[in-house]
Amino acid sequence: MVAIKPGHAGGGNVGSRDNRMTKVLLIEDDGETAEEITAELADRGFEVAWSSDGLDGLAQARDLRPDAMIVDRLLPGMDGLTVIESLRKEQVRTPVLVLSALGAVDDRVRGLRMGGDDYLTKPFAVVELVARIEALLRRPPETRETKLRVGQLELDLIERTAKRGERKIDLLPREFRLLEYMMRRSDQLLTRAMLLEEVWNYKFVPATNLVDVHMGRVRHKVDGPDDAPMIHNVRGAGFILRAVS
Amino acid sequence: MQFIRSNTFRWAAGLATLFAAFVTILFGLIYFKIDDYLIARSDRMVTTQVDFLASLPPDRLMEALDDRLGQDSRGVHFAGIFDTRGNRLAGNVARLPADLAANTGVKSVRMARLDGRDADAPWVRAVARSLDQGRVLVIGRNVDETREISRVVGGALALGLLPAFCFWLLAGAWLSIRAQNRVEEVNRRVQRIVAGDLRERLPHREIDEPFSRLAAIVNGMLDELETTINALAGVGNDIAHDLRTPLTRARLALERGRTNATSLEQLQEAADKAIAGIDQSLSIVTALLRLAEIENSRRSSAFGNVELGEMLREVCDIYEPIAEDKQVSLGVGATATLYVRGDRDLLLEALANLVDNAIKFTPHHGKVELALLRGEGEIILRVTDTGPGISEQDREVVLRRFYRSDKNRNTPGVGLGLNLVSAIAKLHGFRLIIHAGPGGRVEIVCPDAPVSRG
Repeated sequence: MVAIKPGHAGGGNVGSRDNRMTKVLLIEDDGETAEEITAELADRGFEVAWSSDGLDGLAQARDLRPDAMIVDRLLPGMDGLTVIESLRKEQVRTPVLVLSALGAVDDRVRGLRMGGDDYLTKPFAVVELVARIEALLRRPPETRETKLRVGQLELDLIERTAKRGERKIDLLPREFRLLEYMMRRSDQLLTRAMLLEEVWNYKFVPATNLVDVHMGRVRHKVDGPDDAPMIHNVRGAGFILRAVS
Repeated sequence: MQFIRSNTFRWAAGLATLFAAFVTILFGLIYFKIDDYLIARSDRMVTTQVDFLASLPPDRLMEALDDRLGQDSRGVHFAGIFDTRGNRLAGNVARLPADLAANTGVKSVRMARLDGRDADAPWVRAVARSLDQGRVLVIGRNVDETREISRVVGGALALGLLPAFCFWLLAGAWLSIRAQNRVEEVNRRVQRIVAGDLRERLPHREIDEPFSRLAAIVNGMLDELETTINALAGVGNDIAHDLRTPLTRARLALERGRTNATSLEQLQEAADKAIAGIDQSLSIVTALLRLAEIENSRRSSAFGNVELGEMLREVCDIYEPIAEDKQVSLGVGATATLYVRGDRDLLLEALANLVDNAIKFTPHHGKVELALLRGEGEIILRVTDTGPGISEQDREVVLRRFYRSDKNRNTPGVGLGLNLVSAIAKLHGFRLIIHAGPGGRVEIVCPDAPVSRG
């Protein structure tokens, strides 16, 4: 395991990746929460605009054209989901992360997830929030590629085979899905909750730590005893797949 | 006089009025029938007499006329003979009534007696007949009798109806006051219940009467509520306890870190411990909210056809590595392709919880098996394990929130797993059956309703 400081889990200042600051609009009525999120995102090189009200937030979203938005569900003025629906009607496709104290997974929230947006229940860990924002910003492009490659690791989506260099790797179907998801999002921090939702399609958090057990197996297969590790465990946060430099 | 506005009293008063009207109409009808009958009888008598008298020879006529009037003690008979100019020749009639034509039918006329005054000349049913030499014979009968009958009828009516009407009103008032008193009594007791005295009950008698039945129903409901609320209070204590433990740990870690830590690493270690404690509390809150969400939802809108065999294999597939790590063998026994109506996510969650539990409590080298069976009119999802199982006395309490058998206190987990499974089963109308040990055996029993394959 490589010790990576949680503060730099995403691999440096991801916010300023293209010589341009990534703009994030935060619409959240609780000042203290907003301050914490803003500080955390600013540390990671994001440019953060904050609005504490639904209507004002909607106006700012139109003016600023942010790269991503973080929206609280219950807001004064106009509720968060309505803000998003209004923007979508205007063909604004900015990815949104919805924050809510309501855990209820109702139909509107299902709709959000289908539309490529994300939903996070309060209270949350800051690492989780940042990981999800990064995932939204770096949505993998739709490719017709039938082979995925990260460093020496290669995954054949048609043959359902994997190999690292010349070494073949035998994977069970679910392990294959897990590795595929990780390879599409290499160099990104993937939290346990994200993996549960995307790979296992779980809408709940099981009592036993499923992800760790499955990940342990995949890691054992991918990182052989003589290989430099590719799958890294970030303590208290999640996992990263990274090519050996 | 509040009872006058009460519904019971109004109904009673209304019915009494209706009854009185009905009786009055009945008496009126009887009166008119009798009146008709008496008039017809008088008419027949008058006609018979006039026919008889007119057929007598003149000398016998006078005699018969006097005879007849002489026998009339009640003074109801009228008779007279008049000449062509209307002068009275015999009889007790003062003068010939102008509107009585000879040789027509019987009709009602006012007819004065010789000894009476014109003013109170009574109404008489009379008939006139022409005799020889232009004379006219008049025979009449007083029908004032019928008025007397009407007086008797009216008197009887008043005598019977008035007390009856009063009785009805009194009965109405009594019933109404009685009902009102009972409502008042119920209201007083309900106020006490609202104020928090849950042991209070509504008054009811042992007789089969709507009011008592209602009270018995409400009392039954109150019993149920009291039990639930007491149980909730217990749950509140359990929650407080289970939340406090990790929070206390977090607080201690923070406090010790603040006082004793001399390096960043030590501080971070303290913070990590604190975060772990807080996360534990949060997971309890999350589990509770989820339970409440399922218990309160009627998510039948998300119901579809769920293939259970495939779901079983999926759960097995997910938990296989975990079981292997614990050196527990996990396998699917009997399966079939069976469908039920339900929410796939929730059913998966329930089954995953059961398997999770089974693996957790099964010792090394033990065995957990899933099976899908078709019973009689039902489908059974069964999870068996070779763990300690659930003892007879624990079967009830295991469904209580936060219950964890004392010997398992040190096994990680929130202790709401079976509650959640039970809530999900209930939402679907399925049954959760926990069999007694040794060895764990838990079943979700679904009624085998025909499901359209789609």
